[in-house]
Amino acid sequence: MIKITNLQKYYRTEEVETVALNNVSIHVKEGEFVAVMGPSGCGKSTLLNIVGLLDDLDEGSYLFNGTEVAKFKESNRSNLRKHNIGFVFQSFNLIDELTVFENVELPLVYTKVPAAERKRRVEEVLEKVQIMHRRNHFPQQLSGGQQQRVAVARAVVNNPKLILADEPTGNLDSNNGNEVMQLLTELNEAGTTIVMVTHSEHDAKFADRVIRMLDGQVIMETVGS
Amino acid sequence: MLRNLKTIFRGLKKKKFYTIINILGLSISLAASILILIWVQDERSFDKFHPDYERVYKVNSHLDPEHNGSIWGSSPGPIANYARNIPEVEHATRVSQDWNVTLVNDEQKRPITGMTICYVDSNFFSMFNFPLLEGSLSGFQANYTHAFITESTAEKLFSTQQVIGKTFRYNEDLFSVAGVLKDVPQNSSIEFDVVIPLAYHAQRFTQWGGNGKWKTIDEDLGNYSFSTYIKVKHDAVPSSIGELITDSYTKARDGENSTVFVLTPLETIHLIAPDGNKSGLRMVQIFSIIAILLLVIGAVNYVNLSTARALDRAKEVGIRKVVGASRRRLFLQFVTETVVVVFFALLIAFFLIFLLRSGYNQIAQKSMSYSFHNGLIWLYIGLAIFGTLCLSSIYPAVQLSSFSPITSLKGKSLTRFSSNTMRKILVVFQFTISVTLIVCTLVIKNQLAFIRQINLGYDKDHVLTLGLPNEAYKHIDAIRDELNGNSAIQGISLTGIWNLTDYGHSTGDIDWPGKSKDNKLIVSQATIDDNFIPLMDIELLEGKNFTGLPADSSSYIINETLAKQMGLTPPYVGASMSFHDFPGQIIGVVKDFHFKSVKEKIGPMVFWTRWGAGTLYVKTTTSQVQQAINALETIYNRYPSDSPFSYTFVDEQFDSVYKSEQQTGVLFNIFSGIAIFISALGLFALATHEAQTRVKEIGIRKVLGASVFGVVRLLGKNFVMLICIAILIACPIALYLMNEWLGNFAYKTDLNAWTFVVGGVLAMIIAVITISYQAIRAARANPVDSLRDE
Repeated sequence: MIKITNLQKYYRTEEVETVALNNVSIHVKEGEFVAVMGPSGCGKSTLLNIVGLLDDLDEGSYLFNGTEVAKFKESNRSNLRKHNIGFVFQSFNLIDELTVFENVELPLVYTKVPAAERKRRVEEVLEKVQIMHRRNHFPQQLSGGQQQRVAVARAVVNNPKLILADEPTGNLDSNNGNEVMQLLTELNEAGTTIVMVTHSEHDAKFADRVIRMLDGQVIMETVGS
Repeated sequence: MLRNLKTIFRGLKKKKFYTIINILGLSISLAASILILIWVQDERSFDKFHPDYERVYKVNSHLDPEHNGSIWGSSPGPIANYARNIPEVEHATRVSQDWNVTLVNDEQKRPITGMTICYVDSNFFSMFNFPLLEGSLSGFQANYTHAFITESTAEKLFSTQQVIGKTFRYNEDLFSVAGVLKDVPQNSSIEFDVVIPLAYHAQRFTQWGGNGKWKTIDEDLGNYSFSTYIKVKHDAVPSSIGELITDSYTKARDGENSTVFVLTPLETIHLIAPDGNKSGLRMVQIFSIIAILLLVIGAVNYVNLSTARALDRAKEVGIRKVVGASRRRLFLQFVTETVVVVFFALLIAFFLIFLLRSGYNQIAQKSMSYSFHNGLIWLYIGLAIFGTLCLSSIYPAVQLSSFSPITSLKGKSLTRFSSNTMRKILVVFQFTISVTLIVCTLVIKNQLAFIRQINLGYDKDHVLTLGLPNEAYKHIDAIRDELNGNSAIQGISLTGIWNLTDYGHSTGDIDWPGKSKDNKLIVSQATIDDNFIPLMDIELLEGKNFTGLPADSSSYIINETLAKQMGLTPPYVGASMSFHDFPGQIIGVVKDFHFKSVKEKIGPMVFWTRWGAGTLYVKTTTSQVQQAINALETIYNRYPSDSPFSYTFVDEQFDSVYKSEQQTGVLFNIFSGIAIFISALGLFALATHEAQTRVKEIGIRKVLGASVFGVVRLLGKNFVMLICIAILIACPIALYLMNEWLGNFAYKTDLNAWTFVVGGVLAMIIAVITISYQAIRAARANPVDSLRDE
């Protein structure tokens, strides 16, 4: 599904150029659950953003389902993103002015799904993450775990082929964290490909494969238990 | 759409402070601009309600253009007749007016004063759109005691609209009402309360002996007492029609003519004076610009706040983009948000306009509800709203929707938006306008004070003027004696000067030995008695006053300017001159005094005693004013008169000459107040936001030992800098504008640096107070709170 070859990414300020990713090549097959690990600043989030088409790469090739997307324009990327990729963030990133229901509904609005269909799908996914009873609450009225479940619901409501999770349990206690990981595992078992950045060895164990990074480079890949 | 609105409302409610400031600023600027636009539109709509108004012209008379003679909006009676003989002319019609007359309903003994009568040709109604509501125009000229009155006049005279056949009296003549006309709209240059056939005026002219050899109005080439209107055919060239009219006139005067007749479009006569003075048009232009600037100031607030708060909105933009929102979609979302804010602002604006309507009517001397009937005003208002929307929506929407999702989610790299150059420019722009308006207001105020303090050359205090009933003039000596014997009255004088503060009665009929043939000097003339000069305390530079004896009839007193323009050398007394063909001698020269608005240079003036004088000047004292008025009223009521007793103080006449300047002063006060208020509102919100975003920095600085003053200085420094730049830009603009405005006055105050300093300091004080409130609050907050928050 994802085939990145010889990826280079630089960050430039007026005076210095920093190499964020150096000669990175990764390959993720459809249905895989991959964890990316490494210390802060090693480039794992940058890699995830590039995989998610939120950021562009400076050199190298990126094949998404066999299509070269490295040189895609923003509008094409946005289009590909909204139909194929769901995101889960460490800080949940829910919109404060929208209710739980509306937050989850948002991707469907942007993909122009009819209202009745939207309602059905949002309710279905809210049931799945067991947050249906709080559908009319606003994010600030929920606990961290609940917020992250909403975020997961939002990520999957569009039935994306790929879910990218950036430290999804980073802001959660272990109970809530486990619940979220359980959710992701279930999604993966249902066929969704997952790429997850994490600091937690515990979380990484849920993955099929772990890619370890240091200073912008992939240093090791291990296949999970 | 609906869900979008719901989200927008939640957002607006959550950020109440900014929402209120945005809506308040926009609604005030919208209300002020719309009020100005209503006025502007009304001024521009003058005389455009007549059919084919583009083809209607008024004849102006250029008296001796080669020697810079005056230009009048009136013309002699035969002009219309000449025009009718020109093939390109469709219609020509004449209007003569009597102002401020008294009409009497004898049945109810009800005199109505202050009426305007128009004497018109029979084709007047086919050229102009003054609808007849009742009655008939047939036989209009034949029955010249038939009158057509407006609805309001009918109400005033008869307290009813059923007035056909009813009679009223004007002087000695009885008129019967043949028709009721719709009231003259406020945007008409031709004004009347009563219309009477011109035949009546013609007959009266002949009855009173005509004008010298000319016995009818159709022969009289000397009196420029008509407004002549000409409707030309399509494709006609107005200038050549003017030439043909001039040719006919010259022929009628046997080739002895220096007057040139010029056609001027009807639609311009309200804003451009016959002599080409465009101050009316200028005012409309200036006010249009102010309306636009006020709108822009309001929109700028919105833009500034939206972009300053970009940081707060960044996360939302990032999330929406990540889950699939396109830039276009976000752009539309932010535009919709602005539409909602502008909509609420508009509601409040219209409410404000509703509240302010009577104030508007009073200041503008117009009826607002009438103005709303004009379809164009709605176009103007629509444009104002659309303009505000575009100005306030596009830039923030473009900026907010442009954020890249990663940076906005991290909240990084957006600091450039907090210190946006654009925002600085906009703050400078707002304050430039505000400071400019403040300085203009101060200069106008100075000039008005200057006018007030100017040495007019006479003493206008405690002098009142009045006209007496016709019968009373027969007993004027007895009246004079009676008044002089009254202790409340310090002196009286009978003169032909009906208004000393704005007097226009001029002639070219003056001659003196050595006057060259092509000298076409036009002089002001006034009949006075021997009491006038001492009563008004006009200074005699040379010679003596009139004596009150018959010998005065060959004596003239002139002013300095005339002495110079005649080319006399001192001593002037004893020099010969002849006036209206009466030879005589100059017996005195008075110091120049202002008998017209100080906008005009003092012109040449002749005092003499020959012609009739009907205005009584009475000097009294502060404490005895009422006593003097009572004495005058008693005398007045002794004689029969249609008009009730009334009087005017010279002081009041003086004020009314500068009414339009005073109005301008009041309006500039209001405009600059609004501009500085809106700008300060915006600054307040920006300062609040600045304090909020820098709360952590302030906390750290305080922990490290910064004082409250140090923090206030830190927060205020940038803003103060911007205001300084605004002041620097505003000063030359205000200097230019006020030089232009003062150019209207022949006598004016100096533009001194202090006015600019005061204007700048005032704006700075307002700005500093505005910023300080938030800055001090931020600086006094406990640093632990802000740091713990993180």
